[in-house]
Amino acid sequence: MAIKIKKINFSKIFWGVLSIFLVFVIWYIGSQKPSMKGLLPNPIDVIKYIFWSNSNKIGKVNIWGHIYWSMTRVITGYVLACIVGIVLGFLTGWSKLGSAIIKPFYMVLRSIPSIAWIPLAILWFGIGEQSKYFIIFISTMLIVMTNVIDGVKDVDRDYLGVARMLGTSERKMFWNIVLPCAVPQIFNGLQVGLGAAWATVIAAEMVRSSKGVGWIILMGQTAMNMTQVFAGIIIIGLIGLTLALLMRGLEAKLCAWNVRGK
Amino acid sequence: MSKILEINNISKTFTNDDATNSKEVLTNVTFSVEENEMVVVFGPGQCGKTTLLNIIAGLEKPTTGDVKINCKEVTAPGPDRAVVFQNIMLFPWLTAYQNVEYSMKIRNFDKAERAKEAMKYLDLVGLNGFEQSYPVKLSGGMKQRVGIARAYCTKPDVMLMDEPFGALDAQTRYLMQDELLRISNTEKRTVVFITNNIEEALYVADRIIVMTDCPSTVMEEVIIDMPHPRERTDQKFLQLRKEISAMVNRRR
Amino acid sequence: MKKIKVNKNKYTVIMVVNIMVVIFIWYLLSDVFKVFRNGMLPGPVDIVKTFIYKLTNTAPGGNTLGGHIAASMIVVVTGYIIGVGVGLPVGILMAWYKPIDYLVRPVFDFLRCIPGLAWIPVITVWLGIDLKAKAMIIFISVFVGIVVNVYSGIKQTDEVKIWVAQIFGASRWEVLKRVALPSALPYIFTGLKVSLGMAWLGIIAAELLAAQSGLGYMIMVARNFGRADLVIVGMLTIGLIGAFLTWIIELIEKKFVKGRR
Ligand SMILES: Nc1ncnc2c1ncn2[C@@H]1O[C@H](COP(=O)(O)OP(=O)(O)OP(=O)(O)O)[C@@H](O)[C@H]1O
Ligand SMILES: [Mg+2]
Repeated sequence: MAIKIKKINFSKIFWGVLSIFLVFVIWYIGSQKPSMKGLLPNPIDVIKYIFWSNSNKIGKVNIWGHIYWSMTRVITGYVLACIVGIVLGFLTGWSKLGSAIIKPFYMVLRSIPSIAWIPLAILWFGIGEQSKYFIIFISTMLIVMTNVIDGVKDVDRDYLGVARMLGTSERKMFWNIVLPCAVPQIFNGLQVGLGAAWATVIAAEMVRSSKGVGWIILMGQTAMNMTQVFAGIIIIGLIGLTLALLMRGLEAKLCAWNVRGK
Repeated sequence: MSKILEINNISKTFTNDDATNSKEVLTNVTFSVEENEMVVVFGPGQCGKTTLLNIIAGLEKPTTGDVKINCKEVTAPGPDRAVVFQNIMLFPWLTAYQNVEYSMKIRNFDKAERAKEAMKYLDLVGLNGFEQSYPVKLSGGMKQRVGIARAYCTKPDVMLMDEPFGALDAQTRYLMQDELLRISNTEKRTVVFITNNIEEALYVADRIIVMTDCPSTVMEEVIIDMPHPRERTDQKFLQLRKEISAMVNRRR
Repeated sequence: MKKIKVNKNKYTVIMVVNIMVVIFIWYLLSDVFKVFRNGMLPGPVDIVKTFIYKLTNTAPGGNTLGGHIAASMIVVVTGYIIGVGVGLPVGILMAWYKPIDYLVRPVFDFLRCIPGLAWIPVITVWLGIDLKAKAMIIFISVFVGIVVNVYSGIKQTDEVKIWVAQIFGASRWEVLKRVALPSALPYIFTGLKVSLGMAWLGIIAAELLAAQSGLGYMIMVARNFGRADLVIVGMLTIGLIGAFLTWIIELIEKKFVKGRR
């Protein structure tokens, strides 16, 4: 499998740089207005703050410490959620019995937004790490499950016929046809789920925690330190972007056969 | 010669779910196919050719009548029959090579044997060098070749081909017809070949089953005993072409 | 035919029996054997009781269930309508005019990686915690969701369709109105649904963090009092209303998209 390196598109880079530069200029001009004092920090200060936090502590740890905490929470909850979500999704989507048993509860849980679990999670698991793992788990799991169910439901019936024709027994149908057919949709679920896990951890950290990226912005608000808030938001965006790009790269590798993967 | 495939009095009526609407597609279709024979089913568009083939394949049940293969009644799809589908239906998540070896793999043949057979058929259809390509990267003609190799690799008693060259341009189509004859010369197989193109039918057939319009039934069986390779501008060829076309038009 | 129906009935029966068995076991565990001593998982009876109680009583949280629902709804509807109103034209402009696309897209690609609720601290400092502030948070979430979907909907319009329209002498504006927008309609509706979900999530988040009424506030107060029953009542209400709002949009979608497919 040859991975083609995309020709670098210079005009795209040019526009990208120009557009970000313009945003900074507007932001800078806005922050210089006297009425914005204390409300909108100077972008240069924000960038300086990010570099400063590279080696200085915000609260208990430096920025990498906070990122480490947030990522640990995301990854723990996410990995568990993917495993459970994929298994339950296939049970619900492929087996009629599984659907009859699981679907009603799935429907109820799915309609509750992830954030609304926070109070209950704190009641059940306390304010420690467990409650955060739980919230991330439940929100991501339902998203992954939804995508797996859709993926299985959308398996082209004709492929099943072809597979039978070629001697596939019903027992082998699942691993050889249904699973690969559903892979692109599952991948979509994993992608969306990772984004949701990231958003959920921010929310959970804002509601109750003593470290993490979500904590940084909430602390910034409490201390009226808007530079810290904006630095936090930019870091949240950068990590979200990195996660999205990583998933897309992984998809291109694993689903090379699929048009989506191109 | 022995009869390998028998189609007895097949009828098929499609009914929609709440039984308010029904359409009779096939009525009393009867014919049989002998071992290593190339039988072409020729009929106008939408007359029920794919339906007939699906019934032989076991993908669909006839309303009345039955299909016997080696004297056993067909009830479900199985690898004693292989289909080259009208819309090819390669598995997009497998490479050309993996598509071809699929039927052997699913029946637990060992790896070396699979490789030997799959390479043989990929070679036979002239696709060496493209083993590792995914279907999205192959042209229509190449996909159709993979489909044919996949069907051969199943080692079926009967090959069922549903307008396999229908979607190809005229040039590639002629080429593929020659390829088909070459392949079935090296690998003797019983073939049921479906087409709505009279020229194609005459070019490849040992025998042509002419179908009527919908609801369709067998109108006529014509044995073609011209030697291969046939010349499409040959007197006898043109004569037969005229006769069969007239037959179909008269009934319209 | 008949066999399929029998099977269907069989699974419906399994489903109903299954739901009843689970609720019964839940009831046994929490109400009869009192396994969850500290009220961590209240039984189904308690939840129904609390629900009925909360319909007319204000404590704790200072408002009845209906009052909290109204408080949340008014914010969501305001933020949602403004978000859709601004997001639609921006999405169209971005997709249809190349310079705007080039200029806005990079910034937008970054902005959409920031979850809407990360803006809550900024909004709180700028606008406080009144309706205006919360509507602003909803607006941001909705705006991003709408723009992304409208943009990709118009971008995927079949080039051939556009050529055909241009060959027949349609102006750029007409092509947009007659060809691009209709074919983007399913995407637009996806955007409407997705961002409704985001709006509903956003309001709960905003009320958890800073509010004096609303469903999110109610479950937060209930947690402070250790009232798991009220938390669960709140969650179920939130879920129900979310499902109801989605259902309304799906109704509208059916009306609009049906004839065009
Ligand atoms: N599953 C089905 N339900 C209802 N009607 C069907 C079904 N399958 C086929 N038909 C109808 O049966 C008729 C014959 O279809 P079939 O596909 O067998 O024709 P065909 O001869 O293969 O056509 P073509 O030359 O286009 O391939 C058509 O009118 C079609 O609408
Ligand atoms: Mg057909």
